Amino acid sequence: MRAAMIPLATRAGAVESPFNAEQQRRFDEGFEKAVARYPAERRKAALLAVLHLAQDELGWLSEPAMAYVGHRLDVPPVRVREVATFYTMYRLRPVGRQVIGVCNSISCWSMGSEKILHHCEKRLGIRHGETTRDGHFSLEEVACLAACGGAPAVLVNNFTFHENVTPESMDALIDKLRGDPGKPMAPGPTPRIPLHSVEDQATPQGPKALGGAEGSLGRPAVSTAVEAGSTEKKP
Amino acid sequence: MTAPAKILTADWDKPESWKLSTYGKYEALKKALKMEPQAIVDEVVKSNLRGRGGAGFPTGMKWNFVRKETSFPKYLVVNADEGEPGTFKDREILLRSPHMFVEGLIIGCYAIDCHLTYVYCRGEFRESAMKRLQDAVDEAYEAGYLGKNILKSKFDLEAHVVYGAGAYICGEETALLESLEGRKGYPRLKPPFPANAGGGLFKQPTAVNNVETLANLPPIIGMGGEEYSKLGLTPKNGGTRLFAVSGHVKKPGVYEAPMGITFKDLLEQYAGGMREGSTLKAIIPGGSSSAIMTAEEAVWASDFDTLKTKKTMAGSGAVVYLDQSVNMAHALANVMRFYAHESCGQCTPCREGTAWLSRLLDKIVAGNGEKVDVDNVHQIARQMEMKTICALADGAAMPAKSYIEKFRADFDALVRG
Repeated sequence: MRAAMIPLATRAGAVESPFNAEQQRRFDEGFEKAVARYPAERRKAALLAVLHLAQDELGWLSEPAMAYVGHRLDVPPVRVREVATFYTMYRLRPVGRQVIGVCNSISCWSMGSEKILHHCEKRLGIRHGETTRDGHFSLEEVACLAACGGAPAVLVNNFTFHENVTPESMDALIDKLRGDPGKPMAPGPTPRIPLHSVEDQATPQGPKALGGAEGSLGRPAVSTAVEAGSTEKKP
Repeated sequence: MTAPAKILTADWDKPESWKLSTYGKYEALKKALKMEPQAIVDEVVKSNLRGRGGAGFPTGMKWNFVRKETSFPKYLVVNADEGEPGTFKDREILLRSPHMFVEGLIIGCYAIDCHLTYVYCRGEFRESAMKRLQDAVDEAYEAGYLGKNILKSKFDLEAHVVYGAGAYICGEETALLESLEGRKGYPRLKPPFPANAGGGLFKQPTAVNNVETLANLPPIIGMGGEEYSKLGLTPKNGGTRLFAVSGHVKKPGVYEAPMGITFKDLLEQYAGGMREGSTLKAIIPGGSSSAIMTAEEAVWASDFDTLKTKKTMAGSGAVVYLDQSVNMAHALANVMRFYAHESCGQCTPCREGTAWLSRLLDKIVAGNGEKVDVDNVHQIARQMEMKTICALADGAAMPAKSYIEKFRADFDALVRG
């Protein structure tokens, strides 16, 4: 059956593992555990968990990685892509080795999350949705983290919570992360890098995409005191 | 006022409150395993326990639906995909008293004759709350509270903790089931409901319960349903509830208060009042999907039925107090950006409606709006209601309508004409 499917995500032929030996060992170990959670005939249900495993190893989900996950679970490639593109925690292209996500939902917003976001933008020289040129930091806006009591909240690398963040504590956090090389990121297309200086952001002209970067970089002109943020769509 | 009852939060301030040694010996489970499963459900019916996830559905009734089904296996799935803006109570339970929840989970499974259960955590919890929960589950296995022949009762139960990957919609119960089965989180058309054969996990009858709901089980079994019900201040709303209080208050945090406490009392007696220099302007009573309340309406009781008659909802118990510094048009623009981002895209009124509302509101708060734009927001919101598979569109429409109806002046101040 599988051979008849069009392997959208792979070169024609065998599905190769995207991992090195060490990564493969960890992946296999996690794979067995993930699949064992479900009844034997329902092993495909482990798809989300297995995609997480692949991303843990590679930093993002490359096409070969998705194809390999589909192959291991006997899930058609289109279904794997469907899931990988639906959930926001999966990365479809490389990001920085340290990803800072600032919550923008109502409780954090009311406690000044926009200030924190702008502070990060200035500090890192990138806008949200972008990655520094050295590939070390990415900045993004994230939806409610269920940490509203500690608003404003910040999430680092998908899993680490920081609460009651102030510009000063954000500086300390950025300094700490700058010294932490983080996990290596598997090679892939260039992340979205800044094409302008961050100071320009009050006059958005939406520069046309250059090089490998994509998407409109303009943000809506906002003239009021409380500046509105925007929830970034996945690339 | 008598000292507020501490049922769910009894252990929270103890050192290492998340350990089995602190929690104790699962006495309620021992008692429950000696009861008939139906007797447990009857006790839950008597307790007037209402689902704490948002809908407030009577838990005992839900379990009776599952019990009536003749198709096996049956499942209990726990919704720990906490993501409604303002809500952070389940995370606190998992971090601070995971054993209370695990004990409730085992009792719940015994009551509906389930032998395989899944706890679906939101992905971001993996290294924090979910780790605590997994440790608690491991401890429970070691102590013989999970696994084969639990406490020699011949009841077997296998519990698994799994996690999602960042999608608000997976907090909707049928989207959660889809996600648990390894698919994107598109809510399912109902009926069949999850409690019925054909509608649940792997098409089997399934009870989907919130973390806090299940954490209430040990006290219900311990003190009896009737006694528990009396803890609530209003009829048909039993027990205490965890209110996640945030916004411009002195002491934001999770507070346990009787069901039906007024928002004024919650603010003054628990959250320490508004912060210095603040006056209360608006209250979000149950997560960002609920209709907004004005400062004068703070005297309303916080139970499910009262708020329903007032055309808002108690939702997930997430109460956000906002002060005079907030322009409600800006607040609505923020809320709507969330829904536009989180709409799964399955139903047209929601996918197009939330995005359209968000664009209009961004235009208004940028100072480029006209009066007709505000009217259009209200009009579009009304068109979205009750037209979609799940309640996300209604959850976006409710704030859109109510913010405009109750705070029209804030919008008019930003627009021309």
